[in-house]
This record gives sequence, C-alpha cells and structure tokens, in this order.
Amino acid sequence: MSYVLCPEIPEPGFSFENCKRNALLESKGFTTPKAIKTGTTIVGIVYKDGVILGADTRATEDTTVADKNCEKIHFLAPNMYCCGAGTAADTEMTTQMVAAQLELHKLYTNREARVATANQLLKQYLFSYQGYIGAALILGGVDIEGPHLHMIYPHGSSVDLPYATMGSGSLAAISVFELGWKPEMGEEEGIQLVRNAIAAGIFNDLGSGSNVDVCIIRKGVVDYRRTYDEANKKGVRQGSYKFPRGATAVLSTKVVDVEEVSVTPVEAERMDVAAF
Amino acid sequence: MPPVNTDFMPQDGSNDWRDAAHSTGTSIMASEFDGGVVIGADSRTTTGAYIANRVSDKLTRVTDHIYCCRSGSAADTEAIADIVGYHLNFHGMELGEEPSVEVGAAIFKELCYNYRDSLMAGILVAGWDKKKGGQIYSIPIGGMCVRQEVSIGGSGSSYVYGYMDANYKPKMSKEDCVKFVTNTLALAMSRDGSSGGVIRLGIITEEGIERRVVLGNELPKFYEG
Amino acid sequence: MMQTGIRPYYPDYSTVPVERQINPYADNGGSVVAIAGKDFVVIGADTRLSSGFSIYTRNQNKLFPLSETTVLGCSGCWCDTLTLTRILKSRMQMYHQEHNKNMSTTAAAQMLSTMLYYKRFFPYYISNILVGLDNEGKGCVYSYDPVGHCEKATYRAGGSAGALLQPLLDNQIGQKNLQKPSQEDLTQEKALSTLKDVFISAAERDIYTGDSVLIKIITKDGTKEETFDLRRD
Repeated sequence: MSYVLCPEIPEPGFSFENCKRNALLESKGFTTPKAIKTGTTIVGIVYKDGVILGADTRATEDTTVADKNCEKIHFLAPNMYCCGAGTAADTEMTTQMVAAQLELHKLYTNREARVATANQLLKQYLFSYQGYIGAALILGGVDIEGPHLHMIYPHGSSVDLPYATMGSGSLAAISVFELGWKPEMGEEEGIQLVRNAIAAGIFNDLGSGSNVDVCIIRKGVVDYRRTYDEANKKGVRQGSYKFPRGATAVLSTKVVDVEEVSVTPVEAERMDVAAF
Repeated sequence: MPPVNTDFMPQDGSNDWRDAAHSTGTSIMASEFDGGVVIGADSRTTTGAYIANRVSDKLTRVTDHIYCCRSGSAADTEAIADIVGYHLNFHGMELGEEPSVEVGAAIFKELCYNYRDSLMAGILVAGWDKKKGGQIYSIPIGGMCVRQEVSIGGSGSSYVYGYMDANYKPKMSKEDCVKFVTNTLALAMSRDGSSGGVIRLGIITEEGIERRVVLGNELPKFYEG
Repeated sequence: MMQTGIRPYYPDYSTVPVERQINPYADNGGSVVAIAGKDFVVIGADTRLSSGFSIYTRNQNKLFPLSETTVLGCSGCWCDTLTLTRILKSRMQMYHQEHNKNMSTTAAAQMLSTMLYYKRFFPYYISNILVGLDNEGKGCVYSYDPVGHCEKATYRAGGSAGALLQPLLDNQIGQKNLQKPSQEDLTQEKALSTLKDVFISAAERDIYTGDSVLIKIITKDGTKEETFDLRRD
C-alpha cells in the first residue's frame, strides 16, 4: 500500500517498464531525447609516489555545451578516485554505487579496500550490462600493494597501465603521454604532464573544454585540485545587459494572504561509519 | 573484427570507434614441446583503427599451471577467464590438488558453448599437468573444444598456417619451440594490421610458468618487401 | 578464424538487398552575425573550421567581398561555400563587363537567391548572410535558407550558433519584449559591441564557434576590417 506521504519503495535495479512504449513511439517517428554525453578528456598516470588523475570540465549535449564546469573525477574510496567519460548519468551512478559497495567491503573486512577490488566490481557490473551502461573509466588509487591505474571500457574489459587516456580527447592526450611520460616521475613534473595532456584535449578536441581538474593520490593523502588550471579565460563583454526597471510588462496583479505555518526542522542524524 | 565497422566513420560523432567494442584483433599461438608448452601472443588491442593498448597481455593466468591465450572481444574473454579461474580455484580446493588442463578446457568450452550467441571469444587453453604433461586445447567461436599439439588463433593466424605446418616438429627442445613460436608470431604480426607491438611468451612446465618478452626492435626479421 | 563467427555475422549467401549511401555533405560549423544601421552594416564570422570533434583550422575567413559595398558570409558545408563563392565571383565579374558597372547589393541578393534555387534538388548546404549598402546608402541584411528563400532584415544570426544568437539579437537590436524601446537610431559602436558580445556568448555554448571573429564594417567610405579573439577550447 502506498500513499502520498509514504510512497512505495521501488524495486531494486533498473526499471524497463517504458521500453515497449518507447519502441512503439519511436517506430511512429518520435525521436527520444538523448542522454548527455561527456565528450571528454580524462587521463591518469602513475608517478613516483602514487597516481595523478586529470579531467576537463565540459559536458556536451550534441553540439551545445551543457555544463561548463562539471566534475568528472569521482570519489570511490578515501584512497581511490575514478575519472568518468561517456554518458554522464552512467559514470556518476556507477561510481556512486561502487563507492557504496567499497565502503561496505571496508566495514566488513576491516581493511582499506584495494584498487583491484574496485576494478573487479566495476568491470563485472559493466560486463553484465553488455555495454548498454556507457561508462568509460580511468580508475586510480594507492593501496597496500602500491599505486595502481586501470582503464575500464563500457563493455567490461579493463587494462592495467602506467599511463592512460580516455574519452573523445584521448588521442590528443595520449600523444602528450607517449612523448613525455617516464617511469618514476616527480610530483610537480607529473602534474604538469597531466595538465598538458588535458590541455591538449581541451584545445584540440571540440568535445572537451573549460578547465583542468587534477587529483593527486599518494599513500594516505589525497590532493583534489578542482580547477587546477583555467585553460581558457572567458571573454570580457563590452556592453551592459542589465534590463532597466519596468522592462518586463506586468499584465495583472493579485495579492493573496498566506496562512502562517510553523515548521520545526529536525536535524538529520549521521550514519555511524566509524571503522578502523 | 565484426562489431567494429571502420569502413565509414560518421561525422556526427555517433557510434564511431569511440563507442565501438574493445576487441583484440590478435595473433595468438601455443605449441607443445618436450616437457611442456610454449604460449605466445602479440600485444596490440584495438578499438576500430585506434590502438587502445600497445602493451597488452593476452596470456591470462587461470591457475599456476593453466594459462589461456585470448582472442576476440576483450570484455568477453576477460570475463570468461575470470569465471573459469574462479571455478578451477574452487575445484582445486575440493580436489586437494591442481586441476588438470583438460578440466580447465572443459569449463572454458562449457561457457563458450552455452553462451555462443552472445560471446565473441576464440581461446587457446594451454598448460601442464602431471597426468598428460603439456597440453593445448583450442576453443574457437561457437564453443568447440579440441586438443592440438600446436595451435594458432586470432585474425593474424590465417597468414601463418603454412609456416606453422612446415616448421612444427613433435618433441622439440624448449628453446627450439620458443624460437618457433616467436618466428610464427612475428610473421603473423607483420602481415596482420590488427596485430603488433611486442611478443609476449610463456613457457609452462612442471615448475610453473616462465614469462618472456620479445621487444619490437628485437623481433626476428623476414622478407618485408 | 574470426570471420567464421556465428553472430553477428551472417554468411554471404544472404540475399537481402543492402542499401548503401554516402553522405555528400559535411558540416564544418561556424557562425555568422550581421547587423545593419542607417548608414552602415557590420558582419562578423568566427574563424573556426571544424568537422566532427576536431578542428581543421583556427583561422579561416568566412566573409567574401562581392563588390565595394557587398559582403557575403557563409557557414555550413565548406566545400559548397568554396564552389558557390567561386561561381558568384565570376558572375559578378561577368555583370561588370557586360554592364560596365558594379552590381548593386539588392541585385546581388536576388542573384544569390536564384543561384541557390537552381540547385533546388541538390542544394548547397550553406547558411548564407549577405550584407551591403543599398542604392540610398542604407545598410541592409539578406539571409537565405539552403534552397534560396531570401529574407530582408536589419539583423541576423546564422550558422551553428544561429538559433542560440537570434533571440539575443531580437532583444538587444530588435528591442523585442521590451516595454520601453529606445527611440534612438542604432549606432555603429553599439552594433559592433553587441556583435562581439554575442560571439563571446556563442563561444561559451556552441562547440563549433570559437578561436576568433573576423568583422567587416561597411560604410559609404569603404570597408574596415577588424579581428577579435574568442576562447579556443
């Protein structure tokens, strides 16, 4: 039984109830709305003390920029982050779900989760959806075995690499890595290389743009530098576009007295997740 | 390679190589020798025309004495190898000793056959066990399983069947066999556009596996006209 | 070995006819904006030429002077633009030699329309905006669809960001949806600054617009040229 104040909890997993209807509509000429794709440049490298992840911040919807400053480096665990390219909703939801599983895994085993575990969770999940979940990921982190970097494709295959790029700007970015990556790089040198790879994507790939986000993961410390570099300065407008008072027509006015209602806010209690 | 169409790339950014399945257009090989098997593979992974990985390892561990050479869709073959690895690990614990290569191949076959409509996988299962020594089982697309003394697979294999037939000899020495596998793969890689990179080798004997790499500049040279 | 897959490949004895087509058009993007005033007209086009997700060049002029007082701005399929402008140029020259005078802006506008309609069933895939001074020296703007429909206006945005910019021009230049429209004539300075600002906005949201804008200002004293940088991502 469900009613307004207590809606029924939906079944777990995806709902496919509109698939048949949508197929029918499509066969009659209706064009279904497209999901936002993050035409993207995402990269990651292994350096001396850990891994560095990088991403641009443009999200596109066909040829228009849907978001000029979106976050593509997602949190997975305190020692692990994951860059996402492809369908924005898929990368976001997939990483959130795996982050939850990793947290539970940590509480269950009383150990910090390993990068290999996250990799296995992600690839098995994506494989089970046969590529229909359009998430292309670069997973980076440092665990008990040292730094790790994995590249995971939407179909569920993955590779373990010292440097990786993905998304529409991956060709521009990989050229920077193939030229400049060395084993055992220093931190500043590594960050600069990642920045240059992302900048190559931003400038040469139309699907990528705006700013450079960088995330440095060392043993025990994560340094998430949002907007590490503003690759493009926004143009300065010359005119003033403030509308004078009265620019909008008021067609009619009606004043309604509102009944006074008192609301007592209740502080939400935090879930106890103190482990270790 | 089937699901990837490189003939014509649309300009609108839809369904081009970026969305294409990640597949291993491959050259893989396995050969028996006196005391074990040599397995080998190139290191190129492609999505359409783009080399997604030039240093991939297509020789995947299943148990300490059973490895597989993967060709076809990367996602499918990785998933199968993981599942077989899980089953053999469990089977090994129940058995109290290492599973035989034959059992390993049978599980591969079972998966490849039952899911033949949704898989794109051509696998060579190779390994050593104390009952039958070095063995190779070929499981092509469709899920057949057949034991062979020497076997090749992947898109590059069609170029070197003749070379393989002409040069394979039963009961070779280890180094002769390594040379044979290296030469065959080098020839396949030079003719097949979707194979390339380095040659990865594995020599499986009673002692376990010995891994080797033949770098791109160390590949044996043949006629290149 | 890989070719013998059970799925998704079907054997070659399949007898279903397969329809194959190639697309003769490319969309090379780009935006054009034109604003006319009482005794001037300004036209600007971005200089990015691109295809799909990649940039061919950051410095492509898309404004074509047809005469002393007429300029054509093109965006869309670049190979069609090259062909159309080449033919236009020779038609202008033939007119000059036959009549011993330059073609007027209004005549050029009409000619462009007929030239586009001539290719009604295999059109030039171009968004054209033609500007110039008319016989009275007044600025005028003509905009076209790919098959030759011509519309006279005082301001117009076309190309990949056309739909994004036109409403802005409607409000800022056309003074639409305003309660108290200004009675003053549009100045050249206001037209120029609006044109630049409009391109800054387009570069923010349209991936095919960027790098820089080339602007031509046409008055009775001749044509002035100006460039203006945009973001390059």
